[in-house]
Amino acid sequence: MGLRRILVVDDDPDIREYFAAVLHDHGYEVAEAGDSSAALSELERFLPDVVIVDVLLPGRSGLDLLVNLRRSPRWSATPLVVVTGVDQLLQDDCQSYLGAHAGVEGPDAVLGKPIDPSTLLAVLRAIDARQVPAS
Amino acid sequence: MRDHFAQYFEEMPCYLSVHDRDFRIIHGNQRFRRDFGAQGDYCYRAYKGRDSVCEGCPVEKTFIEGVPQISEQTLHTRDGREIPVRVRTTPIRDEAGQIVAVMEMHTDISESKRLQEQLAHSRQRLAQLFEEVPCYLSVQGPDRIIQHANRRFRETFGPAIGEPCYRVYKHRDEQCIVCNAQVAYREGKPFEHEEVVVSADGREINVLVTTAPLRNARGEVEAVIEMAVDITQIRQLQSQLASIGLLVGSISHGIKGLLTGLDGGLYLVNSGFERGDEARLKKGWEMVVRNVERIRSMVLDILYYAKDRELEVVDVDVAALVAELAEVMDKKAADSNVALRFDVAPGVGTLPGDSKALRAMLVNILENSLEACRAEAGRKDLRVTMSVRRLDPWLVMVVEDNGIGMDRETREKLFSLFFSSKGSKGTGLGLFIANKIVDKHGGSIAVDSEVGRGSRFVIRLPLEARPSTRPTGELAPMTAAATGS
Repeated sequence: MGLRRILVVDDDPDIREYFAAVLHDHGYEVAEAGDSSAALSELERFLPDVVIVDVLLPGRSGLDLLVNLRRSPRWSATPLVVVTGVDQLLQDDCQSYLGAHAGVEGPDAVLGKPIDPSTLLAVLRAIDARQVPAS
Repeated sequence: MRDHFAQYFEEMPCYLSVHDRDFRIIHGNQRFRRDFGAQGDYCYRAYKGRDSVCEGCPVEKTFIEGVPQISEQTLHTRDGREIPVRVRTTPIRDEAGQIVAVMEMHTDISESKRLQEQLAHSRQRLAQLFEEVPCYLSVQGPDRIIQHANRRFRETFGPAIGEPCYRVYKHRDEQCIVCNAQVAYREGKPFEHEEVVVSADGREINVLVTTAPLRNARGEVEAVIEMAVDITQIRQLQSQLASIGLLVGSISHGIKGLLTGLDGGLYLVNSGFERGDEARLKKGWEMVVRNVERIRSMVLDILYYAKDRELEVVDVDVAALVAELAEVMDKKAADSNVALRFDVAPGVGTLPGDSKALRAMLVNILENSLEACRAEAGRKDLRVTMSVRRLDPWLVMVVEDNGIGMDRETREKLFSLFFSSKGSKGTGLGLFIANKIVDKHGGSIAVDSEVGRGSRFVIRLPLEARPSTRPTGELAPMTAAATGS
């Protein structure tokens, strides 16, 4: 397993705790953040392999964070999973949001709530399989 | 020659007769005799079955004035028909110039009478149609002055005739920038548009307006007719539908977030069982309880929103209300490691209000404050305090937290329907409903907040019953209290 360190960004502590438990139980290391600015400091501290981010966050949105990471030379290659309760809307919103930020690549995966553990794990495995073997 | 004239007289296609000074019929032509009988009779008897001379008799007038007369009368034939006629009389003089007789000619005008009546009837029907048509109809001249207006128009916009349309429709003193009536006038073709006009009593009405030029016989545009249909109900329905659409989206989004929380709780419970990890089991169960509670309050909010019920006002014991509130909220606060304190001044007494609605309102506000603290989970000093005191003529309740706080945008949209800053957890109904309840009681909510410093809600409720004077559906403007903290 190449991708081990996961940063979960969600403003609902229950959902963070849920993801953290599932991921821990399956051998991942997890860090949590409740909003975009906490996420930015966790990135520096924790150096995650994958970021899972909720769209609706207090303050700057998850999509805003996505654009930030995609544009940063340091994090542009880090796989990003977007989580949302507005599944149909998300596809359109995501497209139009990213459309306004030309050249930004979309998320590696989109997960619609509610999310069961197997879906979460399957998505991470799929992303892992796509990664070019590095170290 | 004489015989010829006698024959012409006989054959004339009208009633011809000659009368003496006594109103006796000396001669009558063939047609006259057929319908009015023998010569020698008095004309008033022959024409109308009377025993004396008719009032305004043209024969009499001709004898007196000595000049021809024209009038209209109705004659009764021997077989009982009524014939409207035009009567022309002319005096017949002897060689000395004395009037010795009067010749009378009656032309049957039944047909033209019938046409006239038909025309009057059509006109009246048209006027009635214009008057009674179930939309606003008006005719405006090129000077924008209303020349005609139907009943419905006058009932809604007042006695508008002679007034400029912009004053009647919009209560303005200047003409509208775009005037479709003028465009119709200028371009000579009909136009359709939608706009909002204001009735005489100040109601806003959405109307669909069709304007069309009115032309005279030469084809020149003389005025514009304007037909406006009231579509306010349709527009209201549309906006309600849009709200419902938003509500459904918002509920769906909220429920999905809560289901994920439930999934999380179940995962922890199940895996806790499997491993015999009691701490995990406990944590999972708490998560389930919390999310079930959230779903419960969301459903109650939705039901409240759906029903928009009337207040049941009684004298509410304020201290008892707060005690009841404490019972509900204490456990929630403890679960989130928030110190919740209630501070009720002695002698707060009673308040005229709907206890269920007031309780729901306070639960919403307190939950909002707890949520603001939960967003800062991990801090040891999280607290929410609610203080209650009388400040005549108000009961003032202050709910204060030192949670995450709000930026200006959040503060300004706080009480809007479907606005939520809670990400996955909010439907945007809770504070909207809280504000609605306070407003219905004739009170107000003010809020003061800053990111990183927490929030303060100040709820004022009148101690004397004073229901909201605002029209239903309109909300109290939110006032931000300036405390500078």
